[in-house]
Amino acid sequence: MATMVNSIRERTIAENSMVILLQGLQGEVTTVDLKNESTARGRVVSVDAFMNIRLEDVLYRDRRGQLTQLQDLFITGRNVRYVHIPDHRDIMKTIEGQLAKIHRVRNFGGEGGGRKEFAKKSKSDFPKKYQSVSSPPLQTALPNSFYSPRG
Amino acid sequence: MICRGHITAFCRRCTLPHLKTRFPQIWQPPHRFVNDADSNIMADEVEQQPPTNTVEEPLDLIRLSLDERIYVKMRNDRELRGRLHAYDQHLNMILGDVEETVTTVEIDEETYEELYKSTKRNIPMLFVRGDGVVLVAPPLRVG
Repeated sequence: MATMVNSIRERTIAENSMVILLQGLQGEVTTVDLKNESTARGRVVSVDAFMNIRLEDVLYRDRRGQLTQLQDLFITGRNVRYVHIPDHRDIMKTIEGQLAKIHRVRNFGGEGGGRKEFAKKSKSDFPKKYQSVSSPPLQTALPNSFYSPRG
Repeated sequence: MICRGHITAFCRRCTLPHLKTRFPQIWQPPHRFVNDADSNIMADEVEQQPPTNTVEEPLDLIRLSLDERIYVKMRNDRELRGRLHAYDQHLNMILGDVEETVTTVEIDEETYEELYKSTKRNIPMLFVRGDGVVLVAPPLRVG
């Protein structure tokens, strides 16, 4: 699967918005509608937190309908209008899978050593509810900035 | 530069690092004001901000329309009607079974009268970028 973004800032931005769903579509063939009325259909290589999308093996149709084949296409996030999501992808599972990846990266390095995203003085100092950060929840709880039907 | 927030490393809104990330020694957990007066702050396993059922801000009104059919007016004379599956603070939305209507105005050369044309298309599942959204409403009832 595609590697994780390295920047903490990008991870946090992605984790708290719906871009994370687009990041979960990496490897899928999708159509992206741009703001300039053109469309690009290709395989998603990567999507970053700012919705910049990189596609490969692209069929680009401009607003007049003229088709162009492109090997590699980079679309700035601000130029995206729609992203068509393939039918066979379950949205909640995709989002939960991406969140699990982020939590895994955050906890990488073990409890004692390794670099942590949040510097903690010691585990015992903090009340219990903040310690939930260090152990990933077994049932993925979406951050509260996600509003989606439960169950 | 820091942001006076708490849990995450960077603020969701201003994307500046939080006090906790930058100066972990002087950071103190913020006081938590929980919704019901009965439960005290030491309640175990309380998540960051449990989803409340009260309507507090305009985005909460959209939360009431989750899994319902909605009408979205967008920029460039576009309208979407679909089932709202998810949204975020930017109004990026996931819509299912969506019908997009694009309205164009053609002006007759001789008579100069305006002819309104609309083009529709159906898309099974669509991700909409929030900066194109103008308004969100329940679907308009005809008549």
